[in-house]
Amino acid sequence: MGVAVGDELPPLVIESVSVEAMKTVAALLHDPNPIHFDLNTLQRLGMGDRPVNQGPNNMAYIVAMLSSFAGGPEKVRKLRVRFLGNVLGGDRVTARGVVTDVREADGATVADVDVWLERSIEDVVLKGAATITVG
Amino acid sequence: MPIALEELEKLIGTSFPGGRYTIEPYRHWLMTDAVGDTPTSSGAANPMEIYHGAMGGLGITLDELFAMVGSSAADGPMFGEAEIEQVLPLRVGDTYDVRGGITGIVRKEGKSGVFDILTFKLELVNEAGEIAGLSTNSFVFPRRD
Repeated sequence: MGVAVGDELPPLVIESVSVEAMKTVAALLHDPNPIHFDLNTLQRLGMGDRPVNQGPNNMAYIVAMLSSFAGGPEKVRKLRVRFLGNVLGGDRVTARGVVTDVREADGATVADVDVWLERSIEDVVLKGAATITVG
Repeated sequence: MPIALEELEKLIGTSFPGGRYTIEPYRHWLMTDAVGDTPTSSGAANPMEIYHGAMGGLGITLDELFAMVGSSAADGPMFGEAEIEQVLPLRVGDTYDVRGGITGIVRKEGKSGVFDILTFKLELVNEAGEIAGLSTNSFVFPRRD
């Protein structure tokens, strides 16, 4: 795989963040926070009428982009993210990444990638850095 | 009054009970499908399983974790940062021992008031005794009173 500094990864677009998926993940993770599934609680808290996506889901969109680019989930070595804002049910979000370094590590070629998840160019809800195996 | 910082700092170094986590094929399928990834129930596991395994093998519930720092889900704790490291490829169907504990607590003050940041780190250890994955997470706890 020919990868160079400055390369942009093919973005991953989630056209509409699924409210039903949030319920599935809440159940699987034993996540009791009602802001992910209970509209009555959201309204009582003054948080509108759209559930808040779980942070790990937002992180997972980045993982999906990295896995697709690198050629498999086993190629994703490391990912560190900071959560900057909420993603709500029905939002359109895009995961993006740019290669910042290509180097040798443990007998393999790896790329360091700046990553982020945005609702728009001005509205980045998560950003971080990853290391993936590229050769 | 929020819990005293001195009390919170005593938690640094506290180990969680830990446990075991199996990357169940059906759970892996559902998790990957839920986040727009290719759903699979065999083969290489999605690296988010490091996070799921860490939380699943913590040995306490999220509610219990929140209570340790004098908070609850109703207080609106938020995810601050998260890091996963896949040291060895994870496989669907494999079982991992989970161990780790609290590595840091800091109190800060921002525009919205005082908040505490709890950091904890967990390891996923494969059946050969090798560390396969590392998960480090920080939660932010608003202190509104």
